[in-house]
Amino acid sequence: MNDFKIILFLCNWGPHTAFQTLQDTGREIPDEVSMIRIPCTGRISKSLLFKAFEMGADGVVLAGCKPGTCRYGSGTATAIENTEDTRDIIGLLGLGKERLRHVTFFPDESDLLLKFLNDFCNQIRSLGPSPMLPIPITESEAISRESLAEIVSYHDAFACQDCGKCSSACPLALIGKPFSPRELVNSIIAGDMDSPSVNKDIWSCLTCGLCYDRCPSAVNFPEFIRDIRHVIRKKGGNAHEAHGGFFQSLMRAMTSPGLKTQRWDWLPQDVEVDSKSKILFFGGCSPYFDIFFRNHLGVETRKILKDSLRLLNFFDIKPALLQDERCCGHDLLWSGDKDNFLKLAAMNVESIHNLGIEEVITACPECYRTLAHDYPKYGITLNFKVTHIYELLENEISKGAIDFKKIDKKITFQDSCRLNWIEEPADLPRKLIRRLKPSSFREMQNNGKSAICCGNCAWTGCDAFSKALQVKRLRQAHDTGSDLLVTACPKCQIHLRCAMEDPFLGEELNMEMIDLTGIIAKTICWE
Amino acid sequence: MTDAQNHKQAKKEIIITGFGGQGIILAGIILGKAAAIGEHMESTLVQSYGPESRGGSCNAQVVISHEMIHYPYVSHPDILVCMSQSGYDKLIQQIKENGTLIIDQDLVRPARELKRDFFSIPATGMAEELGRVMIANIIMIGFLTAVTDVISMDAAQKSVLESVPKGTEKLNTTAFKKGHDYGLATLKGRQKKAAGQAGAIS
Ligand code: SF4
Ligand code: SF4
Ligand code: SF4
Repeated sequence: MNDFKIILFLCNWGPHTAFQTLQDTGREIPDEVSMIRIPCTGRISKSLLFKAFEMGADGVVLAGCKPGTCRYGSGTATAIENTEDTRDIIGLLGLGKERLRHVTFFPDESDLLLKFLNDFCNQIRSLGPSPMLPIPITESEAISRESLAEIVSYHDAFACQDCGKCSSACPLALIGKPFSPRELVNSIIAGDMDSPSVNKDIWSCLTCGLCYDRCPSAVNFPEFIRDIRHVIRKKGGNAHEAHGGFFQSLMRAMTSPGLKTQRWDWLPQDVEVDSKSKILFFGGCSPYFDIFFRNHLGVETRKILKDSLRLLNFFDIKPALLQDERCCGHDLLWSGDKDNFLKLAAMNVESIHNLGIEEVITACPECYRTLAHDYPKYGITLNFKVTHIYELLENEISKGAIDFKKIDKKITFQDSCRLNWIEEPADLPRKLIRRLKPSSFREMQNNGKSAICCGNCAWTGCDAFSKALQVKRLRQAHDTGSDLLVTACPKCQIHLRCAMEDPFLGEELNMEMIDLTGIIAKTICWE
Repeated sequence: MTDAQNHKQAKKEIIITGFGGQGIILAGIILGKAAAIGEHMESTLVQSYGPESRGGSCNAQVVISHEMIHYPYVSHPDILVCMSQSGYDKLIQQIKENGTLIIDQDLVRPARELKRDFFSIPATGMAEELGRVMIANIIMIGFLTAVTDVISMDAAQKSVLESVPKGTEKLNTTAFKKGHDYGLATLKGRQKKAAGQAGAIS
C-alpha cells in the first residue's frame, strides 16, 4: 500500500470489460488506482480531468474505446483533444504532462490494460507526489446578518434611491434578461438572501460598471456584488462557473507553493529579456486560455504578450519576467473566492519583491486593475509601481520621432470594462488609436463609458443572454462599416470570438480582431 | 581628443531665424549665456533689428568659441535653426556644407530638391499642446541641445531658467525637457534605423 492516488476514468463499453476480466480472475490491480466507471470518455471534459488533480490525484488516466469503435461515434476523438489540451495546460502549470494519459483498449485486452496500469503507476511513483495541494473542502458558513449589514453599509447601498437608473442602463437588462440590479440591491438590503432571484442573479452581473457610472447615489454596484458573492460562496453557493469551473480550478491550483509554473517557455528567441532588470513584465493567463480554446475558438491572446515585449524592446526596455508567475487572482476575486485570491496575491507580491522590482508593466487590464488597485485595497503593500503598457507607450511615443505605417483597414474599438475605471490618465487607448494611420476609425454606437462589455466576466454566469449581448455588440461593430475590431483585453477577444462561432449567425458576425498592442507593434516605426 | 574638448575648441557659428514675437532673440540669448556662463566660453550675439522686427522676419546670430571672438556677424552658419519659411528661404543657401540644419516642421517646408540631411521637430505644435505657442523657442533650444554638441544639457537648462520670466520656470522646464526628449528620440531612431531595426516586429 502506498499513498499515491491515481484516478482511472473507465469507459463503460470497451475497456471496462477488460478491467472486469482482471477483477474476475483475481489479478492484482495496483492499490493506488481508483476506478470511476463512466458512460463515454468524450463526456469527460477538461474541467473534470483537471478537477481530479485539484482534489489531490497524482496521476489521471482516461481509458476509452479504440478510434472507430466508440459507441457514440465521436467520443474517442473528443477525449483525445481534451486530454491533449489538459496535458499541455498542466505542463505550463508545472505539474508535468506525464501525469495525465489517454489510452484505448479492446474488451479482450485485459493483459495489456494491466501492464499499462503497472507501468503508469511506476512512472508516477518515480515522479513523486503531485506538487498540487488538494483544495480543502470548506465547511459551509451561514450568512450572518452582521456580515451582510457590513457590506451594505460599506458600499452605502442604503443610499439607493430606488430610482432604477441602474436597471435602465444595465446591458443585460436591456438585452431582455429578467434581471434588475435595483431589485437585487433591494432584496439584499432586506436580507432576503435565499430568494431564487438573489441566488441566480448575483452570478449574472457582468460587473461592467455601467450602472455605477449612472447611479446618482454612487452605489458601487460591481464591488458590492463582488463582496456579496464572497459571503454567498462561503455558504456553499454555486458560482455558476462557465466551462465547468475549469478556470477557477486552474487559478486555485496556482496557490500551491510547490508548483514551478513554466508559462514563458514558448517565447520566441528574439524577444529580449533581462533577469536583472528592475522593470518586470507581468503577463497574465493568456497562455492557458490559448491552449484551452485552441480547438474551438482558435484565439491567440498570447500574441499580446509577445507584441508587448517587442514594443518594450523597441524602446530599449528589456524587462525581467517572473518565472513562477501565477494568476493575478482577478477571476477568483470576482467569482466569490476571496481566500484563494488573497493567497495568489501574497505569493505574486512576494516573488516580485524578492526580485527587487521597482516597476511592473502589464498589458492585461484585469492584471492592471488587480495589482494596482485591488492588492493595496486588500491590505497587500506593494514596494513597486504598476504601469499599464498604454501609459508607457503614450509616454515614449510622445517624446517624438515615432511614426506609424499606414494600415489599409477601417477600425473600430471595443472598450475594456476594467480600463474604463481608470480615471487618470483618461482614455489612453483612444489617445493611442488616434496616433495610428488606418483608413478610418469609427466609434460604435455605445462607446467609452457607455460601451457594452464583451459579455462575460470572471468565467461566471455565461448564458444565452451573454450571447445575445455579444451579438448586439458585434452588430454595432459591423454597423460602423469597419473591418477590423481593435480590442484592449484578451478576454474580449475570447468571448467575442465565441459569439462568432455561432453556427447560424457566425458568418454575419465574423470580424477580424487585433489587440491594440498588436496593431501598434505592427505599424510603429522610427520617423 | 574627447568630445568635450572638441566642442570647447571649435568655433561654432549659429543663426536662429523666425519672425518677430517667437522669442528668437531670447533663444539666442539663452544659447550664448549657456556657453558663456555654463561652459566658460566666449560668446556673442547680434540681433537683426529694423522694420522687420515686428512680425516680419528676424534672426539671432550667435558665435560661440573657446577663444576671443573678433567678428560677431555670421554669414555662413555651422548651425541654422529655421522657425519660419521666409527665414529658411533666405538663409538656406548660406549654411556651411557640413553644417547642421534644424527646422520647425510645423512652420517650414524644406524645398523638395534639398539634398542635405536635416533635423526637424514640430516645436510649435508641441508648444500648443502645452498651452503656450510662445514656448516653441524653448522646445527648440532643448532639441538643439540634444542633437548638437554646442552646449551641455546642464548649462542649457540653467540658462533657460535664468532667462525666462519669474513664475514660468515650471512650464519652461517642461518645454525644454520635451524638446530634449524629442531630440534624443530622434537620435535613437536614426541609430536604430541604421542598424536595420526600423519597427517593432523585424
Ligand atoms: S441607480 Fe443607484 S440609486 Fe438608482 S436604483 Fe440603482 S442603485 Fe439605487
Ligand atoms: S455591473 Fe453591468 S451587468 Fe452588472 S448590474 Fe451593473 S450594468 Fe448590469
Ligand atoms: S462567452 Fe463563450 S468563451 Fe466566454 S465564458 Fe461564455 S462560453 Fe465561455
